[in-house]
Amino acid sequence: MVAPKHILGTFDEALASLRNNVLMMAGLAERTLDRSIKGLLQRDDNLCVTAIADDEEIDQLEKQIDKDGVEVLLRFQPVASDLRRVVSAMKLSPNIERIADQATNIARRARKLNKHPPLPEIELIVPIQAHAMAMFKDSIDAFAREDVDLGRAVVARDKDLDLMNKRASRRLTDRMAEDPKQLRGYLNLIFISRCLERVGDHATNIAEDAVYAAAAEDIRHQTAAVST
Amino acid sequence: MVNLTMRSPDPIVLERRGETIEAATETEQVPLTFQIKDLSVWYGEKQAIESVTMDIPSNAVTSIIGPSGCGKSTFLRCLNRMHELVPRTRMEGKVLLLGKDLYSPDVDPAIVRRRVGMVFQKSNPFPTMSIGENVIIGLRLNGVRDQKFLNERLEKSLRMAALWDEVKDDLHKPGTSLSGGQQQRLCIARALAVEPEVVLMDEPCSALDPIATAKIEELIHELKTQYTIVIVTHNMQQAGRVSDYTAFFYLGKLVEFGPTSKIFTNPSERKTEDYITGRFG
Amino acid sequence: MHTIRANKHIWRKVKNVLVSATTFLSAILVIAPLALVFFHLLINGAGSVNWAFFTQLPKPVGVVGGGMANAIVGSLELLALGSVVGVPIGVLGGVYLAEYGSARANSILRFIADVLNGVPSITWGVVVYGLVVLRFKGFSAYAGGLALGLIMIPLILRTTEEVILLVPNGYREAALALGIARWKTIVHVVMKTASKGIITGILLALARIGGETAPLLFTAFGNRFWNHNLGEPIAALPLQVFTYAISPYDDWHRQAWAGALVLVVGIFCINVLVRILTRERKPAVV
Repeated sequence: MVAPKHILGTFDEALASLRNNVLMMAGLAERTLDRSIKGLLQRDDNLCVTAIADDEEIDQLEKQIDKDGVEVLLRFQPVASDLRRVVSAMKLSPNIERIADQATNIARRARKLNKHPPLPEIELIVPIQAHAMAMFKDSIDAFAREDVDLGRAVVARDKDLDLMNKRASRRLTDRMAEDPKQLRGYLNLIFISRCLERVGDHATNIAEDAVYAAAAEDIRHQTAAVST
Repeated sequence: MVNLTMRSPDPIVLERRGETIEAATETEQVPLTFQIKDLSVWYGEKQAIESVTMDIPSNAVTSIIGPSGCGKSTFLRCLNRMHELVPRTRMEGKVLLLGKDLYSPDVDPAIVRRRVGMVFQKSNPFPTMSIGENVIIGLRLNGVRDQKFLNERLEKSLRMAALWDEVKDDLHKPGTSLSGGQQQRLCIARALAVEPEVVLMDEPCSALDPIATAKIEELIHELKTQYTIVIVTHNMQQAGRVSDYTAFFYLGKLVEFGPTSKIFTNPSERKTEDYITGRFG
Repeated sequence: MHTIRANKHIWRKVKNVLVSATTFLSAILVIAPLALVFFHLLINGAGSVNWAFFTQLPKPVGVVGGGMANAIVGSLELLALGSVVGVPIGVLGGVYLAEYGSARANSILRFIADVLNGVPSITWGVVVYGLVVLRFKGFSAYAGGLALGLIMIPLILRTTEEVILLVPNGYREAALALGIARWKTIVHVVMKTASKGIITGILLALARIGGETAPLLFTAFGNRFWNHNLGEPIAALPLQVFTYAISPYDDWHRQAWAGALVLVVGIFCINVLVRILTRERKPAVV
């Protein structure tokens, strides 16, 4: 969307800085998630350690975005689309931060799993993580490009992710009963699957905020009572 | 294209006026004070206002915003026939006040101006009169003689303008001995004394400091329960704070009209958005 | 280098002093005649200003003594008559020019008023002589008053107009916005605000005509006795001064000096009054 520039140049700079921080934070979170999953699937401990360390920077960015957002509200009293963008950015960032936290959790559990021989059921995680990662990437895209349709699509995909998580949990619970010696490993896998499901939830939140920023529509809590 | 449908306010606004309707729909009709149809105004050869159609809801504050020279003040003055005082003005279209055509030949402009009061940008209490005389001058010069009645109306108007406590012991002092903000409230009391139905305000706070401005904005908020208020303002934050409805004028045309909350969070017109976000260049 | 700059500096100082001195001398030259006149009047007239001067009628020709009581009263009566003509027409005319009328007609009227302000006052005397004195076959106070009043009209008209134009438009708008009729706005708001200025204009006009002699020469004509009927000739102070000054009697010369002194002091007082009134005016709205 090519909007004319603000007469106040500092206003444009402040908005751009806020947006860039959000995108940077999202990029870092993506990388962390990617590393932690790779650390799990490729049994690479170094990747896990790096992933855990990156969380620090993401936390700092969340604080920075909040601080910058409040300052833009204070200095420029934005209205209409500007206001929606600022408010959405401030609401997005905690979601990104929690996605990074989930990635950190995955990395920690991966390290535990890597100490033991590999479990074949790890394959169950692959489609779940692909789906969650795609949702996250698309939700950020929807925010960056102010793409309302993409945002809506992401929200719709959350159902599938929940289903996949449920199926995997059931399968892993069955395996726990069949093979009690590997209980800890299967538990860790269940938790990892749930972390990924939560990543999907946060990506949904991001997508909803992106739609609000772009179109002033509040699409939260719209799903009719579909019991999960 | 001019916005013809009246978008009703959000439910919160309806609640404040004591109505119990829950869901606001597009076709909801609210009581209207003014109905303006195809209003056009010329100063000599120059067209100042072009075919404006709009309704002004009752007991609410409507603000008129737009860049300099877009016709806001001219439009405001059409509502109380003050624009006629400028030589060589010409007007077409209709302005209905509670259903009655303000410009029909049998209507006396002085009566219009008693029903539609006005407060100006620069406060102008009459310098040769005391505070008390200033307030009731409108009544006195229209023939009211009963001193008791005048005193009652004096106190009532000053109370409504949130000025009574500050001046009740100084009513004999000259009107110009007050501070800027007090003078403006005195002018508001003066306008209220003739008991209009509408109060028009042409940038009433632009010459005042922030505290005086806040006092007047608070006053406007209280007044709207009894009056319909139309305010022209350069200050968009003020429009956002004070008004229920906002009209955006540009180059003599009405670009958009709607509830303030909508105009300031999600305007329909690109030009409106560009103006209020400060993108006009 | 240093000496050149120093020289320029000295030369600049010299120029400053020269200009200051020249302007100071010019100011002295302006004040000097005024001071001389006043001084002369004082010396020659002060001795003769006594109680008799103010209370007695002129004595018969050749007899020493007497006063100008009838001339002083006569001047006042003529001023009053002149005001009756000049003030209403002048003020209302000024109001018209300021508030009504078209731009074109108004500029013509203004031009005419300015021209009339410059017309020699004796002309007014001649006009009134032709219109009134000849018709009614006699000099009279009415004729004198009319002549003076006609001089006042364009004066008061212009000053009134100017003062009313100075009233900020905001007051008119505020009054009209209250639903007050146009004429009431003008009378109760505009003129009331301009009242000090209008009165000042009237006082200045009175000061001007108080000293007019020429128009009274063949309208009021002068009178050695009390005037009991305004249709009869009447004495006036400047007229009397004129008559006495060109006479061959020393006593009359002495009284003429006194009369001139009284006249100047009177006009001086009016001007002081105007000053007081105008100084009291504070700016209307900050």
